[in-house]
Amino acid sequence: MRRLYLSATFIFWLLVTAFWVGSLWLPPAEKSAAIAVDKSISLAELAKHRTPENCWVAIRGNVYDLSAYLPEHPSQPDILLSWCGKEATEAYNTKSKGRPHSSYADELLVKYRIGLLASGKP
Amino acid sequence: MTILRNLSIPLLIMTSSVSLIWWTFPEGLSTARTLGIVLGWAGCSLLLAGLLLMIRETWLARWLGGLERMYQWHHWAGTTAYVLLLAHPLMLAADVWPNSRLLAWQTLSPFTQGWPIWAGWLSLLLLMFGLAATFIMRIPYQIWRWLHFGLGVGVLLGLVHLVLLGISEPVLPILGLAVSFLGWRLIRDDFGLAARPYVVGSVKTVAEGIVEISLKPLADPAAITPGQFVLVAFLGPTFRDSGEFHPFTVSSIGANHEIGIAVKALGDCTRHIQSVEPGTMVRVHGAFGTFLADRPQRPQLWIAGGIGIMPFLALLRAGPVNQPTTLLYLYRTEVDAAFLHELRALAEVDHQLSLKALATGDEVPDLNSLLHDTQGLAHYECYLCGPQGMVAALREDLHNRGVTPHQIHFEKFDFR
Repeated sequence: MRRLYLSATFIFWLLVTAFWVGSLWLPPAEKSAAIAVDKSISLAELAKHRTPENCWVAIRGNVYDLSAYLPEHPSQPDILLSWCGKEATEAYNTKSKGRPHSSYADELLVKYRIGLLASGKP
Repeated sequence: MTILRNLSIPLLIMTSSVSLIWWTFPEGLSTARTLGIVLGWAGCSLLLAGLLLMIRETWLARWLGGLERMYQWHHWAGTTAYVLLLAHPLMLAADVWPNSRLLAWQTLSPFTQGWPIWAGWLSLLLLMFGLAATFIMRIPYQIWRWLHFGLGVGVLLGLVHLVLLGISEPVLPILGLAVSFLGWRLIRDDFGLAARPYVVGSVKTVAEGIVEISLKPLADPAAITPGQFVLVAFLGPTFRDSGEFHPFTVSSIGANHEIGIAVKALGDCTRHIQSVEPGTMVRVHGAFGTFLADRPQRPQLWIAGGIGIMPFLALLRAGPVNQPTTLLYLYRTEVDAAFLHELRALAEVDHQLSLKALATGDEVPDLNSLLHDTQGLAHYECYLCGPQGMVAALREDLHNRGVTPHQIHFEKFDFR
């Protein structure tokens, strides 16, 4: 048991360090690759995508196709499903007890960005 | 019945783990992410089982094969859970690594993710420090106790981590169970609600640094059989620093339910107990242990090292043995030979009991020189009680002499 504890703890910190070092060496090209699309999407178009299989959500002026991400969201599915096809910035900024989502979530969203929310009329 | 008792804890752990994983199994995710989530739930289930296994209740210990067995599995469940929970965030980070190294680090780092991930990290760190106290550091009991208590807080923080992530089902029932188990242990066991009031009747020095203390019940007595041990807390201002429950094997059980315990001065607390006065109030929790229970009708070899004579003495004081029995009593020097005169007197009147007593010094006894092959040890049931090093060496000797593991019975008596 002692040996298991020591080796598991050592390997854990080794891998945590490896993940950290891996993130430092990375050129910031990852983000820009995801922000390649600048399609303008109206609120009416957005509203058509409100099912679990086809779930678009607008947050802070961007539109994200979260269909593939829905099963991965840690909370109960209903919470996120109710925002499919809608503008959800306020909900995103006040996740629990008024706190916004983390910068990790911001980073995660980039992967699912499909365009910009058209301002003004639908 | 014994097989069922032996299987009860692994079955309980397996059932709870499989049920929880089945209930929470994610669908439609990548293999690495699925594995990461399953590892987290498996660790959670093992931690919950570990909490249940630290509860000291006589009926629970009976169901689960004894307190010692529960503690062995408590240690296994805690350590295995820790390893699985270390792998949990690493697998989640590994899942996104091929797409984005930055995202992989942000999956791990609490600095980018806020309170849910901070709670997870604090939980892991408390588990890490608590287990370090168990496995690495040789620290005083009181400090170890607080660090071990931190493990309980770590379990609760792990569940808070899930609640903050927005996962309420089935986390809230699990959180309720974890709080119940911790509260149960704290109130019933550590605060002594499950214990019974006794008073010290007499204190007798039986060897150098060993006293036998008689305890009289002040209410319903505990149900105790020879070979069992009780958890005893000495009360009063003089025992403020050592007033917590410690295990002592019962050395006698009187007709009026008065019990005897022998205390050897091994540490600060047991040294302090040597000078306990008659009339001191104590609380007795138990009894626990199955060491001499369900003995088969076969010739017996009992080997006792020093204070390890207690369970055998309690059984001999209760009446003559009912099968041919050889008692090998080993002690360091003649002044350490507690109860030797009484044992010789008991052996004289019990024609089935053969007593061999020997001072061994600091050396581990050599069984070959003590017991000749003509005794046919392979047909004996062997019961060992004494220092861990002695028990380990004797087990090996007995095994080499053709005694199977099923015929060798011993208790580790380690409650850390």
